[in-house]
Amino acid sequence: MAYRVLIVDDSPAMRCFLHRVIEISGFKLAGCFEASNGREALELLGREWVDAILTDVNMPEMGGEELVERLSADEMLRSIPVIVISTDATEKRISRLRSLGARGYITKPFLPEALRTELEASLEATRA
Amino acid sequence: MPESGLNAALRDSVVDVLETMFFVRSTGDSRGEASAGDIVARVHFEGEPSGNLTLRMSALAARSVSADFLGEEDWNLAEQQIGEVVCELANMVCGSFLSRVESNATFRLDTPCLASIDADCEPADLRQPVAHRSRVASHSMEIAGGALRVFVETEARVWSATAEFAF
Repeated sequence: MAYRVLIVDDSPAMRCFLHRVIEISGFKLAGCFEASNGREALELLGREWVDAILTDVNMPEMGGEELVERLSADEMLRSIPVIVISTDATEKRISRLRSLGARGYITKPFLPEALRTELEASLEATRA
Repeated sequence: MPESGLNAALRDSVVDVLETMFFVRSTGDSRGEASAGDIVARVHFEGEPSGNLTLRMSALAARSVSADFLGEEDWNLAEQQIGEVVCELANMVCGSFLSRVESNATFRLDTPCLASIDADCEPADLRQPVAHRSRVASHSMEIAGGALRVFVETEARVWSATAEFAF
C-alpha cells in the first residue's frame, strides 16, 4: 500500500530533503504535499486527505506545537499520525509534543532509515 | 561545562550533522580565515543563556554540500537554494549543540538567516540593556574542497560579572 504524506517545514531546502529521503528510503509514497507552516497545513488538509504528517516545530505564523494541538482537537484530523522532526532533542520538548498528540518524534540529524521506520510504525499503530 | 568541553560538543555536533544528513566528512582542520564570497548563516537562540550560532562556509564548500543535500548537480543550483541549505545546516548544528550541552533546559531557536561576513556586528536592537557577548565555542574544518567555521556566542548582562551560564 502506498501513502500520501504532508511535509510541514518553513525551510524549502528541508522540505526537498525530506521528500528525497522518503523516496530513497523505499517508503511507498502515493503522493507528497508540502506546507511552509501550520496554517498552510490546515488549509491544505481542508482540501486533501493525507495518511501521515511530518512537521517541524519552529515555524512562523503557526508552529508545530499549535498544529499538533489543532489536529488533536479535530474529530476527523486527529486520526492522522503526526511525526515531529526537530533539532531539539531535549526530553522536555519530546514529552510535550507527545502529550499534545504527536505520534512520533525524530531528532535532526537522522538517517533515512530512521524516518522510514518512524513513518511505518506510526501508520501501523493507526491501522491497529 | 568547561570551555574545552563546549568546543568538543560543537565539533561533535558539526561532524554528526554533516555525516548523517549531508554525507560529508571533514578532510582536516582549517585555520578558518574569512574569504570574500563566504556564506554566513546565523541562528539566534533564546534560553539560559541566549546567544547566537554563526556558521561560515566558503562558496565552493557551500555549493558542493548543498548539491548533496538537495540531490542536484552543483552547477544547477541557484544562490538562494545554497543559502537555504547553509541556513538549515546552521539550524541543525545549533539544535544539536544546545541539546548536548544542556539537556534539561528549554531553548527556542529563531529562524536562521544569512548574515554579512562581518560577524562582529553589534546587536540590532540597541535599546536593550547593554549585553556583552562571549564566544564560548568554536570549530573550524576543511570540507568539500573549502572551509567551514562555526562559533557560538552567548549573552550576559554587563553588570552581572558573576552570572553563571547554563552551559
